[in-house]
Amino acid sequence: MMFNTILAAFLAVSAGLTATPQPGTPSGSEGVKAGVSPASKAVSDAAAFTAFKAKIVYLGNGTSLENGVVLVQDGIIVKVGKDLEIPAGAGIVDHDGALSAGLIALHSNDGAGGELNDTTRTVMPDAEARFAFDPKHPELREALEAGITSIVLCPSSSRLIGGQTAVVKTSGGVIVKPNAQLSLGLSSAALSYNEFPTSYSGALGELNAQFSDPKGAVSRAVAGSLPVLMDVNDRAETMRAIAFAKKYKLRGAMYGSYWAEDVVVAIKESGFDVICTPFDVGDNQRGARSVAALAAAGVRIGFGLDSPARHPASLRFGAAMCVRQGLAADSARKALTGDAADIVGAGNRIGKIARGSDADIVLWSGDPVALSSSIKAVYIEGKQVFGGSK
Amino acid sequence: MLFTVLSLALGSGGLAAMPVPAEATTVFADRIYTAAGDVIENGMVVITDGKISAIGVAPNGERKEGELHVAAITPGMVDLSSRNTNMQTVEETTEVSAQYHVADSLDLFDRSWGRQLKSGVTTVVANPYDNNCIGGFSIALKTGGEPSLEARTVKADVALRGSFGSQPSGKNHPARRRPTDFYSRRPTTRMGVEWVWRKSMYDALYAEGNKDRAFDGVEQLLAALNGEVPVFAQAWATQDIRTAVFLKEEMAKEGKTKMRLIIDAGAEAWRELDFLTRTGTAVVLPPFASDGRTFDNAFYARDCAAKLHGAGVPIALSAHNDSSPGHSLGDQAAFARSGGLSFDAALEAVTISPARIMGIDRRVGSIEVGKDGDLVLWNGTPFELTSSVVGVVLEGELVVDPR
Repeated sequence: MMFNTILAAFLAVSAGLTATPQPGTPSGSEGVKAGVSPASKAVSDAAAFTAFKAKIVYLGNGTSLENGVVLVQDGIIVKVGKDLEIPAGAGIVDHDGALSAGLIALHSNDGAGGELNDTTRTVMPDAEARFAFDPKHPELREALEAGITSIVLCPSSSRLIGGQTAVVKTSGGVIVKPNAQLSLGLSSAALSYNEFPTSYSGALGELNAQFSDPKGAVSRAVAGSLPVLMDVNDRAETMRAIAFAKKYKLRGAMYGSYWAEDVVVAIKESGFDVICTPFDVGDNQRGARSVAALAAAGVRIGFGLDSPARHPASLRFGAAMCVRQGLAADSARKALTGDAADIVGAGNRIGKIARGSDADIVLWSGDPVALSSSIKAVYIEGKQVFGGSK
Repeated sequence: MLFTVLSLALGSGGLAAMPVPAEATTVFADRIYTAAGDVIENGMVVITDGKISAIGVAPNGERKEGELHVAAITPGMVDLSSRNTNMQTVEETTEVSAQYHVADSLDLFDRSWGRQLKSGVTTVVANPYDNNCIGGFSIALKTGGEPSLEARTVKADVALRGSFGSQPSGKNHPARRRPTDFYSRRPTTRMGVEWVWRKSMYDALYAEGNKDRAFDGVEQLLAALNGEVPVFAQAWATQDIRTAVFLKEEMAKEGKTKMRLIIDAGAEAWRELDFLTRTGTAVVLPPFASDGRTFDNAFYARDCAAKLHGAGVPIALSAHNDSSPGHSLGDQAAFARSGGLSFDAALEAVTISPARIMGIDRRVGSIEVGKDGDLVLWNGTPFELTSSVVGVVLEGELVVDPR
């Protein structure tokens, strides 16, 4: 922590040295001008407050604020508003563009290498993805540069009960939530050709055996204190997962949305959130249509990434595809930030531009779900980690 | 109009007293083959809330506009060996997986269900894929309706499915090749298949009332041994049919006299009439093959169904989900007729007989008041290769409209 503070102070100073030192200067084509006012030569004061001004602030809950100000202290958002009084000596980031919370990639493998798939056994509910997390992994940098400030590491869905997911940040090695969800493989990915289970009936038989006599993390899932993450693909798997969850009164999210438009009523009735399957260039429109149908039915959605198999930029690309198929842009931005955080139970800390949230902030040239917009700067807990006027 | 209908005395009494909701489905036909002993000339069937509410002779006079009138009506057909289940429906890591349920593995969104429905098959039994000796529990379900088990199930855990013959041993091999592979195990022979069956049954016998000897699947095996569910076993060839019967007789000697055996795909059952009649074993027959040669090189004689029926063996025909032209269940009945089976017996072999064999005849299999409103509408005499299925009614809903 001490080290972080010193580092923050150092960054603030170095930013001050390279940027225009007057606050409120009209922004040029560069878009971002970070600065420390001359009155705040005292390093401690400068580190204490930073005011982010932007033409539009997307709050992460589906609403936005024009010409908003986000006041950050010690890496935490302390105030959000239109005409805030900026404390004397505060650092000011005046951005001629859009500001949003850092994006959250649900279902990712970044920074975990091949450590999330223990092929020796298919049931290991007490394995925890956070112990596979390598905070210095270069993949995290790529995610960061795509505006992703938090990812959810998931044990492989090729396991029946793979373990527990973890919400981590893409910079600083911060673990936001260590035991976010219990990962269950209900898709054909959990079936094998040379080891148990080879069949859905075997898979369900084993899951029923585990959940009817729950132990460890499974008992927390049955008790409702640990949400489940059910990997599904086709419609039959989705319906099977819903029936399974109903049987044990489980709550949580399903990962897999491609076929959802055909079973959207059942999904809505299940109360489960849906983590949308990643998109790629050239994908069938069904996937995007399904996401739009889910949102229209009032199902809470977030976007999965499955990186590093997919480039982190495809997270935002997928959201844009869905907007083209009828998903409201507000819903898309919410799914990338606030709703994603709520799905993994971390909404009180990340995903929103709100008082008390971590200052994980992305400065965009325009709307985050417009693919023509580019990222100008990324901040994690108030510290600039990418871009800016360097 | 309905008040003028002359009701046949079928249980619930006269039509005049019966309120007829507006949403009732009424179908008229030149002949209604009820599979309950009656053929009604110029008849009609009324279905209310998914159940058959009245059957009778249609009123005389001109047909009204929009009336649904066809040449013939039969009950919705029942196929006990639907075969639209793939390898992911049986747990192959063990050769005996009695504790698993095929219901957990069905894809009700698969197109094959709808294809069967269009062919006039309204009820099927889905079985675990036959790669295991004892595969698990089968389920009886409708081929249409909302794609959920809740909506479609006729009877869950309707039979304990297993297989004799070459299929359960087909992939296994001795340990010298890839010994870590789970296929490196017994059985690799028919003898081994029977050994696994017999061992499972004795293991269950010894575990009955002895908790220390319990194992996964023991309850399910005991339910079968005690006759609570039938054993539904694939056995194409003579030797496999004999094996199944020997096993049933051995268990009877051990005191398990209530165990029920149903042979599936018994192509060579015609060779073993004595075995079948002396044990009261029912036989589900496979689809006909042009040269009579079927799986396991079993010879399926054209007169197999007729011979079995003549000997008093309960029979059912099956199309095995074959979608090629001329291979529907109705066509199988036509082929069986060409082998000497009477029309009535052929009708029963695709409707009430399979329903009785599987114990689901209280709901399906014949046109009787109170049963599910599942009908097949024909443009001519059923089970003639010159006629075809033109309409299907599933629980009162006209899912294939002939108009």
